[in-house]
Order: sequence, then structure tokens, then C-alpha cells
Amino acid sequence: MESVNEIKEALSARSRTATLDELRSEGRKRVRLIRAEHVAQMISEAVHAAIEHSGLLGQEEVDQLVEKSRQEFKNILREREQEVQKLRETDEQLEQKENELTEIKTRFSELSKSLAATRAELEQTGNDLEALRELPVAAQPEVAAPAQSAMPNDVMMSMMQELANLKATMAAQQAQPAVPQAPAPDFSAALEKLTGSLNDRLENLGRKMGVSSAVESDAPLDFGGMFGDDQKVELESNMDNIKVKTKTAGGIAANLARLKKLKGGG
Amino acid sequence: MTEQDDNDPNIDSTTETTLCLGKGLDVGTANLAAAVQNEEGGITVNVERNAFLDIPSDVYSKNMLTKLKVPYVVHNGKLVVIGEAAFELANVFGRETRRPMADGLVSPNEQDALPMMKMIIQKILGEPQVPGEHCYFCVPAESLDVDNNVVYHQGLFESMVTKLGYTAHAINEAHAVVFSELAENDFTGIGLSFGGGMANACITYKSIPCLSFSVARGGDWIDKNVASVLGVPRSKATHIKERGIDIRDPKSREEEAVSIYYRSLINYVLSNIKTRFESGQNMPSFNEPIDIACAGGTSMVGGFIEVFREEFAKIDFPLPVGRIFRSEEALTAVAKGCLVAAAIGED
Repeated sequence: MESVNEIKEALSARSRTATLDELRSEGRKRVRLIRAEHVAQMISEAVHAAIEHSGLLGQEEVDQLVEKSRQEFKNILREREQEVQKLRETDEQLEQKENELTEIKTRFSELSKSLAATRAELEQTGNDLEALRELPVAAQPEVAAPAQSAMPNDVMMSMMQELANLKATMAAQQAQPAVPQAPAPDFSAALEKLTGSLNDRLENLGRKMGVSSAVESDAPLDFGGMFGDDQKVELESNMDNIKVKTKTAGGIAANLARLKKLKGGG
Repeated sequence: MTEQDDNDPNIDSTTETTLCLGKGLDVGTANLAAAVQNEEGGITVNVERNAFLDIPSDVYSKNMLTKLKVPYVVHNGKLVVIGEAAFELANVFGRETRRPMADGLVSPNEQDALPMMKMIIQKILGEPQVPGEHCYFCVPAESLDVDNNVVYHQGLFESMVTKLGYTAHAINEAHAVVFSELAENDFTGIGLSFGGGMANACITYKSIPCLSFSVARGGDWIDKNVASVLGVPRSKATHIKERGIDIRDPKSREEEAVSIYYRSLINYVLSNIKTRFESGQNMPSFNEPIDIACAGGTSMVGGFIEVFREEFAKIDFPLPVGRIFRSEEALTAVAKGCLVAAAIGED
């Protein structure tokens, strides 16, 4: 019965299953049926009959040959099963990778749109600032010096802050668990390139507008220490007895009056 | 300028007699000048050349210098003659003066000159009239043509002036020219300072600086080149330049050399200003023509403003320009502008 099972498995591996509807749709109205046991029996009878008629082998040798053939058949069957299993696994992996690829493409598309929007906003703000700068100075509202010079910087700083937030969001999205598949590094590189380009543009624009992304201390540099020794040493000199060259020039009252008037104090 | 101011109904004439606190200090490569208001309603400017010369120290030399009223300092065992006298002595002995500053900034090659420079500044500035009196000192703008460290320069003089008892403030050199010379224009226009080490430019609108920069060429550049072509020391070339020549009408080969390099300097400065204005970065625009005021010791040579106008006419300047003039007090205009800033700061 073992040979019957093996033949069943072999037939199963090398045949296909079809429903009656499918056969009907293929134009088949009748099919011939044969049992696997009959096939095995037929094969066995045929082999034995052929060997007996040949008179070349004794019964014992025939049995050994049958056993050997059976073993060989088992080996081949096992190999085929393993191949089928591998194919199934490969199919599953392929499907999984295709899903991941689709997901990455979607993320890439979203990030690209976000980048494009940010760039457009940046460009628009740059144009606005440029237009403001190109306005005739006389047409700009007359305000005190610090306020006038500080206003564009405030706007610029606000814009830079907003863009920095956007960049941070994008960076956070990028920092999400990376997909450990082959196509992922390519997209990461592309995204890094895009964000790098955005960074460069922001920094260039910032520098142009006098706003640097660099952090600098507000504390002024004190070079007083460089004169420490000079203070202690009293140099011998006759400077106290020497009169320096003196010139007289026109007064500054008019200049001061105009400046005060400009400042709104006159 | 004064005449027009007197007629201006908007200006309160009583303010002209008000004496304000504050001092202005021009820290120039060639000259140091300190300005203060005097009781006559004008200003007094103490000027000293920013140079020194060291000679061997002995009792005879020291006594002689004292008798001749030549300022000196004994430093590191040497007798150091300071200021204008150093320049004159250098010419007599055919030597080069030592210069604490170069190209508008503290010279890294003359670090031990700083104590001498401090003494000169202390001498010309005097004691503060009240503790912490405002003192505005000039600093150059960033250069277009060289990489210079203005931060160190500014910090160093801020510290020096503070130690003399003042409240120190830095102001751009060409901005000071605007404060001094463009009051009639409501402090709108272009101020140019032609100094010993560099030329500074500042464009302002109603006293607010819109754009400032400098080029590292000035009187020293002329001296260096004239000395080179004539084969004489630089102090000699300076002397030729400052002895009262007219660069439109050179009378000798030496004056010809000075004239050539003056024209080249003016052309260089104008070309750079034009290029900077055309580059469009931070560039203001004006509806009315603006005036250009020139000042600085290097602009004092005869024929300077005429040559400047000639060279200006050759270039297609990107801004409408009205009057081009040189300050009547070119050497002291920067110090005066610093004083205006200090006085308004004290107000």
C-alpha cells in the first residue's frame, strides 16, 4: 500500500485540481477517472511482468531493485516538495516587499509634496521681503531707527522658526523605524538630499537677510585682559608736558538739532 | 552749511549755544583725532599722527627731546618718539616710522605698539568731563577686498576707551561722515571716508545706515606704490603727498607718481561702490538724487574732489546723485561725526 500512497503523492504533485465548473468552462463534458491504486497496481504489474519475461533477474534481485527504485522515488519526491516550499516562501517575501515598496512610495510622495509646499512658501516670503526692500525708502513708514531695522528681522526670525518646525517634523518622520529592505536606503538618500537642499536654501536666505542660524552669545567680547600688564607698568614719558596739535571746527548744534527733529524730539 | 542752517525755520537757533557732553574719537590708521564741544559753540579737535619711532635711549637724547618738546615714551629700554615728531624724525633720518595700525585695523605686527597708542589716545581724549561720559569711536566696515577682523579691532578699542573712564560706543567710520556732513540732507546720502588704511562707504536714509562696506586701499596704498616706483622710504612718499600738491597739475616726476596712484585709488573705490550697489544685496532706492560727501585725510590733497568727479562721470553710477563735495574739515570730519553721535547719545 505504501507504493500506492507514493504514487498518489506523485500524481498529486504533478497534476492540477479543477472544479467541475472549471472543466465545463473549458468545454469538457465528460472526463475519464482512474484511481491512484489502479495506476500503482498497473505500474507494478507491468514492471514485474517485464522483468519476469526478460529472465535476467531473480525474484530477490527484483525485490532489491524495486526497493531501490522506491527509495530513489522518495528522494526525488522530497526534493520536489522542498522546491515547492521554497517557491511559496519566495512568493510571500516578494509580496511583502511589494507592499513595503508601495508604502515607501506613498511616504515619499507625501514628503515631496510637503517639501514643495515649504519651498513655495519660502520663495513667496523671500519675494515679499525683496519687494518690501525694493520699495522706495522714502515710501516706507518713518519710524525710529531701532524699530525700522528690527522689523524685517522679526519677520524673518518668525519665518525661520516656522520653517525650522517644518524641518523638524520632516526629520521626525524620517527618523521613524526604517524599513530594513533593500529599496529603503535609496529613498532615505533622496529625502536627505532634499532636506539638505532646503537647509542650504534656508541658511543662504537667512544670511542674505542678516539672520544667521548660528547661535551666538549676546555677551560682548572683552579684550580688557590684553591691557592688564600695561596698566600695572607706569611708562616713563614726557607726554604730560607736551601739547598736542589742536584744530577748531564748526559746531555741531545744527547737526544735533536736525537729528533731534528726526528722532521726533525737536 | 551753517548759513543755511541759520535760515532754516525748523531749527531752533538757541540749541546752537547748548554745550553737550560726549566725545568723538577717530581711530585712524594715519591719524588719531578726538573731538569735543568748546564753549564758543564750535568744536576742538586734538590730532596726533598714529606713528612712532624708536631710537637708542640715552640721557642726552632724552634731554634733547624734552627741550624740543618732542613726546617720547621709554619702552623696553628704548626711547620711543610718538606722533608727528616721529614722522618728522623718520624723514630726517631716512627711516620708516612704525605704525600701530595697518589697513584700517590694529596691526598684528605691532602688538607692542598698543601701549603707545593708548598713551596718544589718553592724551588727545583727556579725562572724561563726567564719569562714564559717552565716547563714540569709529570702526571700519567689513572689507570687500580683504578678510579682516573688525570684531577684535572694535573690542580692543572699546576696552581701551572704557579703561579711560568713558562709556565706549563704536560707530561706522563713513556713518560718522554722514553725521558730520549731511545734516542739510536730513542725513540721507552717501558718506565716504578716505583714510590712511582704507576707504569706507556708508549709504544712509534719515541717519539710518542702509549699507556699509570698505576697501582696503587708502593713503598708505598710495605711499607704498609711490615709494616703490620712486625708490624712496614710505615716509618720504607721505611727505611728498602731504606737502601741498595738486593732483590735477603735477609739477614733478614725484608728484606725477602721486597723481597717478590717487586717480587709481579713486577709480578703484568708485568701481567697488558701483559694483556693490549693483549687486542688489540690501540695496536701498531713492526717489530724489542723493549727495556724496567725501572726508578723511587722504581726501585733503589738492584737486581731489575734481578728480573724484571726473572719475565718477566715467562710470554709470546706479543711483541718482546730486552734489559731490568734500568736507571743509576733511581731516576732522570723522571725529566730528563721532562727537555728534556721542552728543545725541548723551541727550
